[in-house]
Amino acid sequence: MSDFSRIMVFAKRLMRERLFSTRMYIMFPILLLFIPGMAWGFSDPNIVLPGGHQPDSPMEVLFYASLGVVFGATMCAVLLSYDSVSRERASGVLELRLSQPMPRAHQALAMILGSWRAILAPTWILLLFSVVIVRYRMGEWPSMVDCLVYFLSTALILLWYVLFTLLASSYTREQGTAISFGVGLWFLFTFLWALITTMVAYASGVSIGQENDAAWVMLEGGLDLFSPNGVYHHLLETRLPQIDRGIAAWHILVMALAWTILPSWLFVRRMEKILP
Amino acid sequence: MEEVVLRLEDATYRHSLYAPSAFKPWRRIRGQGIFSANLSLHKGTILGLVGPNGAGKTTLLRMMAGILPLQEGSTYDSRKDSSATLSDANLRMIVGHMPEQVRWQGRKTVRNALLEIGEMCQVSESRIDGLLKLVGLQTRTDALLNELSQGMRQRLTLAAALLGSPQILLLDEPLNGLDPVAAAAFIVLLGKLTDKGVSIVISSHQVEGLVGIIDRLALMHRGQILAEGTMLEVAQQLNLNKKTEITGEGKAPDFSKYVSTAEFTEVEQFSEDWRAVLGKSEPGLLQKLVVDGIEITSWAIRQPNVIEMLCAATGQSIEDVGLEVTSTAVLPLRTFRGEEE
Repeated sequence: MSDFSRIMVFAKRLMRERLFSTRMYIMFPILLLFIPGMAWGFSDPNIVLPGGHQPDSPMEVLFYASLGVVFGATMCAVLLSYDSVSRERASGVLELRLSQPMPRAHQALAMILGSWRAILAPTWILLLFSVVIVRYRMGEWPSMVDCLVYFLSTALILLWYVLFTLLASSYTREQGTAISFGVGLWFLFTFLWALITTMVAYASGVSIGQENDAAWVMLEGGLDLFSPNGVYHHLLETRLPQIDRGIAAWHILVMALAWTILPSWLFVRRMEKILP
Repeated sequence: MEEVVLRLEDATYRHSLYAPSAFKPWRRIRGQGIFSANLSLHKGTILGLVGPNGAGKTTLLRMMAGILPLQEGSTYDSRKDSSATLSDANLRMIVGHMPEQVRWQGRKTVRNALLEIGEMCQVSESRIDGLLKLVGLQTRTDALLNELSQGMRQRLTLAAALLGSPQILLLDEPLNGLDPVAAAAFIVLLGKLTDKGVSIVISSHQVEGLVGIIDRLALMHRGQILAEGTMLEVAQQLNLNKKTEITGEGKAPDFSKYVSTAEFTEVEQFSEDWRAVLGKSEPGLLQKLVVDGIEITSWAIRQPNVIEMLCAATGQSIEDVGLEVTSTAVLPLRTFRGEEE
């Protein structure tokens, strides 16, 4: 068996373990409510959003429905992965794993893939449902490229939250600390980021919340690059020509790569040095 | 002398400890650990690693298992090339490690838990079934980990350690939690493994239980190997002689009349009998005691035991070795604000 196959086999086992865990049974209804539920709501032909705006394309509906991913799926990613390392470490199983011939970097990659795929599989299924719902409600399919961007961007944001949580799990000896770190980070990027943006705008002398003010839009867009949720929305906005926040596409791609590579590298490095 | 399969030379590992100061809250210092350990493992033998709490036994086993990196010194696979050092990855290929007290838990079955570890060392499912049978878990393959007793968990850990058909097996307190029958079966299993050429290192606090099964002994204290060899060799290294143990009924005789007082080790008077341990056998002593009408019930000449060797090596009394507090710092809690490393 090649190294790659071994990583994939180990990842599959970890994925299956989490996918059919009790916590997934608890979280799946929440995901169901958040992801297809939001797609159903935002694709209502009579919906009027704040400012009198009405979504007029399937991709726009999917963009608004992505709130379900930001609020629900990312939290589920945190809750699924918070004990991936800390529990094994506390029980002594990690010591047993570290003494196996499989290199630690490979074990770390398998952990990332296993935890990520455990949340990705149900989320993608529900995204597929959302696309069908949008088609049913609006009578129009989103384009293949729209779907591709939507699915891949969602996969990336889930990966980022899984990585943050795995990192926290590898540094903490108590599962409570790991989950606190994961939820805290989720809270920061999901709710508190707006406050940080406001504070930076205030300090920079930019008028806050003025959607017609180019300086505010630029500042908000720029700061969003430093938040995984912001990069996620930037990626989705590349398929919405009516939205222009003055951020070049390559900036978004570079930040998406940075959010992927940096925590992955940190986690692999951490696992290579971890003590049982 | 059996072939040396693994040799540690000046192997050193010191734990990194947080020592925050006002201006350097991230400061770390090198704490205690293992200092310049020299050790040879012989093919098909059992080495007993004995030392008080915190002597560094677990740290040394983790170094030999390739879990903790050697900060100084080298590990050699003596069978191949005496000058070729082994990396941590090489060590993990030839070593099976049974950590102390793995608390298997969760809703996984016993078989799945072992399969998971088995996938990491590319072991077939038939071997896993065979190992489960070997450790006596064949009737528990579908039991959930949460349902296992401590003894069952120990057996599962042993099966995991044996997965990759290791040439060297490191066992950290393997008898913990095993019932007497399982412990006896475990010892028989160790014998079978050594017959196949597997070298075994056992770390245990239950030193007396080790005597019957180990071929060699290494005494550890404060991160150092104080003495290593066969029981006889270690006793000689520590200048410990055979002792004469005498028991009798009634009042203990005044041994100063029979032997020089320097040779006395101990005389204990019980309600109806007594026990004396002499540092050295005295010619004609038994005859003298019998002629004087002293009732002797037993007379035995014995080798110094492991506890006596440990006391002699560490220069401490039995009470000190068992309960020494300062030496537990060898395996420190790598804590930061209570819980984080």
